[in-house]
Amino acid sequence: MDLKQFEADNSGSCRLASRIPDVCRTEDCCLGVDEAGRGPVLGPMVYGICFCPVSKKEELKDLKVADSKTLNEAERENLFQKLDEAQSYVGWALQILSPNMISTSMLQRTKYNLNALSHDTAICLIQYALDSGVQLKEVYVDTVGPAEKYEKKLSQLFPGIQVTVRPKADSLFPVVSAASICAKVARDRVVKGWNFAEDLGEIDTDYGSGYPNDPKTKEWLLKYLDPVFGYPQFVRFSWSTAQTLMDSKAAPVHWDDDEEDGEKAAQQQNNRSMLSYFSASAEGDRAQQTHRFFSERRLKSLKSL
Amino acid sequence: MFLVKRRRQLAETVHVYISCYIWETEGRMSCNASVTRLHLSSLKRAEKVPVHLMPCEIEHNGLAQVSQYFTATTKEKKKEKTVSFRGRGLKGQEISCPQGYTGLVLKEVDRHGSDQEDRTVKVTSVFDKLTYWNLETPPTSDDTVVMAMDWPELAEAIHGTVED
Repeated sequence: MDLKQFEADNSGSCRLASRIPDVCRTEDCCLGVDEAGRGPVLGPMVYGICFCPVSKKEELKDLKVADSKTLNEAERENLFQKLDEAQSYVGWALQILSPNMISTSMLQRTKYNLNALSHDTAICLIQYALDSGVQLKEVYVDTVGPAEKYEKKLSQLFPGIQVTVRPKADSLFPVVSAASICAKVARDRVVKGWNFAEDLGEIDTDYGSGYPNDPKTKEWLLKYLDPVFGYPQFVRFSWSTAQTLMDSKAAPVHWDDDEEDGEKAAQQQNNRSMLSYFSASAEGDRAQQTHRFFSERRLKSLKSL
Repeated sequence: MFLVKRRRQLAETVHVYISCYIWETEGRMSCNASVTRLHLSSLKRAEKVPVHLMPCEIEHNGLAQVSQYFTATTKEKKKEKTVSFRGRGLKGQEISCPQGYTGLVLKEVDRHGSDQEDRTVKVTSVFDKLTYWNLETPPTSDDTVVMAMDWPELAEAIHGTVED
């Protein structure tokens, strides 16, 4: 797993993939999808797929892959090693979504929520496997949301493929466990070696698990709060943990599409008082109106400092 | 932010009538100028600085770690710059001040008393280009601040002396 490509620019999204085993192009295959790092306020979310011929399911099971959450870091690294050694019949691909990409998507003018982002990423990865010539017949997906609707959506998108969406699929299907291990190993490595693009000198990397309820993570968030910029791009600004801390300790920032501010501005601009229609100064106002040339450019004639 | 027309000779301290057309950012960043005493000696000492015009209002008046957080994370592709601020995606570009004009960053020298009193400002830094940022939308020639730069040329055509 070579993370160099992502580390060179950790502000966007990046795909990493193994070589496609030849046998996956000729034999019917099964594929598992899982994600790592959905909840943390720090670091990327990683989506992973893992695939192998249906005929090799038992061999994959014999590698003793299990739900990545029940394993410790060393065990996961060890199992990833084993998957890598089985590259003659096991392939994988990952999509690393940087915290900056998660923040800017979720906080976009037209909000792009985490569920939509997750689904789109999973779909992209399945499509990548198909485009690479993997003979997909079965797809197993782990989900935190409503499984039925998601299963229907995927079945429609990928006709001819048997799609199974289940909560906790990572503990039910070895191929999903394998995907979860790949994803979790990548996330752990990226978080551990996070390359801060900000020029902040030595940064304390003792940020704990990155989950909002981890005291170490909380402490780190307090320590690295900048009154103007908030946080480095390592932090997901769209998480309420980060927003609450900024609300109480950083300078308030107002955008023109803020709901509160937007309403206030609209009130000032559009909602004229009923009484204004009866006032005598209407003509005087007109005389004061600047030409469109200036208003379009937000140019004003100034008389005082 | 101010744009001031350069004059050839400047006395040490004079009253300067700053050509008073400046832009108001998103209708919020209110700036202005008038018959105000400007310490011209400060102009000579003023350093050229990078200036950013943000698409949001930041309730902060003071220093900020711009180069450490902002400049360090700015990416540039074919003149279009991208960065994020408080988790929101910004796109921007660099524009130059109109020809013959200099941008000034002014700071009030101990302000006291009422609005009517004379005021003194000094130049803390100067700029001849600035980077403006849009929230998510790519920069175009239709952006307000780009269009605002048309004014000096138009003003010259309207108000300038006509040569025979």
